[in-house]
Amino acid sequence: MNGVMDSILPRTGGLEPSTAKGINVALMFFGIFTLVGIGFGVHSLVVGHEHTFGVSREVPWGALIAAYVFFVVTSTGLCIVSSVGHVFGIENFEPIAKRAVYMSIVTIVAGFIVIAFEIENTWRMPVGNVVGANLSSNIWWMGTLYGAYLVFMIGEFILLQKDSHKKAAYFGLAGLISGIAAHSNLGAVFGLLNGRPFWHGPYMPIYFIASAALSGCVTIIFCTYIAHKVNKWQMSYDQEKAMQSVAKMAALTIAILIFFTIWKVIAGVAGHPPGKVLAMEALLNGPYSINFWVGEIAFGMLIPFIIILAVRAKNMGALFIASFCAILGIFAMRYDLVILGQVIPHYYGMDMVDYPTLFSYKPTLHELMVAASGLTFCLFFLFLGEKLFRGHVTESH
Amino acid sequence: MKLKELEQLKNEGVDHISSIERRRFLKLGFLVTGVYLGGKALSLAPLTEAQAAEVVPPKGKYSYSPHYSMVIRERLCINCELCVEACNGTNDVPSYGYRTDILERRRAIVDDKYETIFMPVLCNHCNRPPCVRVCPTTATWKDETTGIVKMNPGRCIGCKTCMTACPYNARYFKEEGRFVDKCNFCYDTLLSKGAKETACVTACPADVRVFGDLADTNSRVYELLHTPETLVWVLRPKTGALPNVYYTNA
Amino acid sequence: MKRIAIIFIILAFLVPAVCLVAADTDENEYDEDLYGPEAPIIWEKPVRGVIFSHKRHTMEFGLDCDECHDEIFEMEAGAAEEYDDFNMEAMYDGKYCGACHDGDYAFAASSRCTTCHIGVRGVERLTGKSDDKNH
Ligand code: HEC
Ligand code: HEC
Ligand code: HEC
Repeated sequence: MNGVMDSILPRTGGLEPSTAKGINVALMFFGIFTLVGIGFGVHSLVVGHEHTFGVSREVPWGALIAAYVFFVVTSTGLCIVSSVGHVFGIENFEPIAKRAVYMSIVTIVAGFIVIAFEIENTWRMPVGNVVGANLSSNIWWMGTLYGAYLVFMIGEFILLQKDSHKKAAYFGLAGLISGIAAHSNLGAVFGLLNGRPFWHGPYMPIYFIASAALSGCVTIIFCTYIAHKVNKWQMSYDQEKAMQSVAKMAALTIAILIFFTIWKVIAGVAGHPPGKVLAMEALLNGPYSINFWVGEIAFGMLIPFIIILAVRAKNMGALFIASFCAILGIFAMRYDLVILGQVIPHYYGMDMVDYPTLFSYKPTLHELMVAASGLTFCLFFLFLGEKLFRGHVTESH
Repeated sequence: MKLKELEQLKNEGVDHISSIERRRFLKLGFLVTGVYLGGKALSLAPLTEAQAAEVVPPKGKYSYSPHYSMVIRERLCINCELCVEACNGTNDVPSYGYRTDILERRRAIVDDKYETIFMPVLCNHCNRPPCVRVCPTTATWKDETTGIVKMNPGRCIGCKTCMTACPYNARYFKEEGRFVDKCNFCYDTLLSKGAKETACVTACPADVRVFGDLADTNSRVYELLHTPETLVWVLRPKTGALPNVYYTNA
Repeated sequence: MKRIAIIFIILAFLVPAVCLVAADTDENEYDEDLYGPEAPIIWEKPVRGVIFSHKRHTMEFGLDCDECHDEIFEMEAGAAEEYDDFNMEAMYDGKYCGACHDGDYAFAASSRCTTCHIGVRGVERLTGKSDDKNH
């Protein structure tokens, strides 16, 4: 056992982690916050979501599903970004790859934690998923594939630590395939619901993959920058080059997303497709318009895009700010996507009396705490990872 | 004449591949790609059924026996909610939930007036139920004999995907027992004990709700759906769920 | 000069406004002795949510008190509810509302159910208790 751990946990080499007190305080804070958040989750699990969550019969999926989607999108994205270097051998991306693999494991686990509290009877899952396996259910595929994905990614990470790069690449490829399959199934969870006009259509799985790439890019920029800053490491030339390449890839995916979003809006408005147009109105100039214009468009797309272009992807500090904005914007995207699909009333357009034009949903403290604990969980393990794995440096060979 | 012969020939050609085999082949293909949608959802037979202009299945083409269905004679509904009360009492429905509900619509009529239409809603026991397709653990399924969409509470993980998938808002999460509850045509409480109709049907004083076996051409539901010069409709037909709750003003 | 103009303008708006308010109160002055109780009568038995409006029948449709009182209905809200035959069957036979709502004098009781039956939702709306199931 010790031997195995020794081969995974480097004692020397890499970068010397800072021993500054601040880091330990931050670690403590993130750890405790995570535990408190999980406490909130356990509380609502015990007393029932009806009393602690803002979800309802009409809007059964709330902020926690949005957070779950956010985390797993990020994880898939990190896997995609890492595979550019590891699996496809594009050397520019190598220096960020190890950290990306590590963080993809952390974020998927954060996603699992969050969803564990959104699902009311998590404990019925292990048996139910096997005994009752429903092969036509996208949720089932997503869960199963993400389970496999987690195993592959952990395998890849361990092999990377052991410097078995060839074997790691196979695991990386398996992880990438299962991750993308899982992720497009997550898109299909929404996209294949004929009864939900805002979600329905082949757009969802495609959009999910495209936005995953963006998530992955900005998250790795964010994490790499923070890791270097708090440990006072000087970024190596290769590392900077990698950051620049990732930033360029981020700009490209933003361009794709802008294109997607424009057509999504046009398709939702042109010819007033029933139901869809209601959601579009809510998004463009209704109750979700601030989320959309400020969150999704400004923070999620325009600001990072402009920053990356303005500094020609060269200034690390600027890239950090861009990535931070994008992460905020991406969260707004996930939230709007999940909630907006549900707020269109089932019997819209039927001249109903005493029937809302839009259902409403507001997250509660419990939901926000659990979602936030997912974030602190990621930060905790980001910091811890830098300590344990000494800056995730890949030995050049 | 020739054309007809040709058509028949073609049909025979297709029929040579048994539908089970075709289904198996499709299943395999989709299993591999990971986007398998279930034999029912993809096989071609129900597709033609969905493309039929009528919302009522063509005569003789009933997938279940008894093919339970309900006919709502909408204009007679007076929103007295005796059906809701009966349902709640019979099926142990908590105060925060409902299996059936009465919604209200308004329609402009002559002389600048409006008329009120009360619209009873319940689970449509769809022939292609979206809730059943999405359930990861088959905690909900379509009963093979009766066509009733049933729930197995102990299997429900509470992911609520069925609730988002249902186009009709027919499902709710029942805190007591922690599972998604829904109308099952009173199967466990009444039908399985020999009763011939559901609690809401028995309770309705205005004869709005009629329940029965659509496959039985002597049944009242069959009669109501096949009365000359009447219009029959279902809710949200475009979702393709193929409801078994029909609405008419006959 | 300017001040006079302003006063004039204000007056120009005020006068019609006052007239309007006055007209409004005129219309609101409902004489219960002349037309019967203003508040609608709502029955809960045998089924919930049936409404009868004196205002519509007397003031608007011009019916006299003795067309209904006391042969068809007693002058006491809820009295009819106590009779076993206060139901649709009896109305189709020309009793109660059916005395007029026969499809000849007034629209038939066997039609347009929701004009008389405002239902549980209608009553909740009238009494201000909103149905929050769907909100
Ligand atoms: C179209 C039939 C009709 C006409 C016309 C009519 N009423 Fe009535 N009235 C009723 C009914 C029905 C009731 C309720 C009886 C019951 O609940 O059994 C009622 C009840 C009343 C009551 C008792 C209300 C209470 O709150 O207890 C009064 C007072 C009354 N009417 C006065 C009048 C007067 C005055 C007129 C003539 C201006 C008049 N009604 C004309 C049908 C009518
Ligand atoms: C004396 C005759 C008479 C009786 C008794 C009578 N109505 Fe009417 N009612 C009328 C007439 C006349 C009209 C207007 C013509 C029409 O709409 O067909 C009318 C119209 C109505 C309307 C429509 C009002 C509108 O806004 O258009 C309602 C509702 C109504 N009656 C309810 C009742 C109920 C309930 C009863 C029994 C409690 C009742 N009426 C008994 C004569 C009667
Ligand atoms: C003219 C007014 C009027 C119209 C139109 C009318 N009702 Fe009624 N209805 C009544 C009154 C008054 C009662 C008795 C009071 C109560 O039940 O609250 C009643 C009672 C009932 C009841 C309970 C008693 C019974 O007969 O079983 C039913 C059911 C009912 N109505 C159904 C209908 C239906 C269905 C229609 C349309 C076809 C209709 N009603 C149209 C006035 C009306």
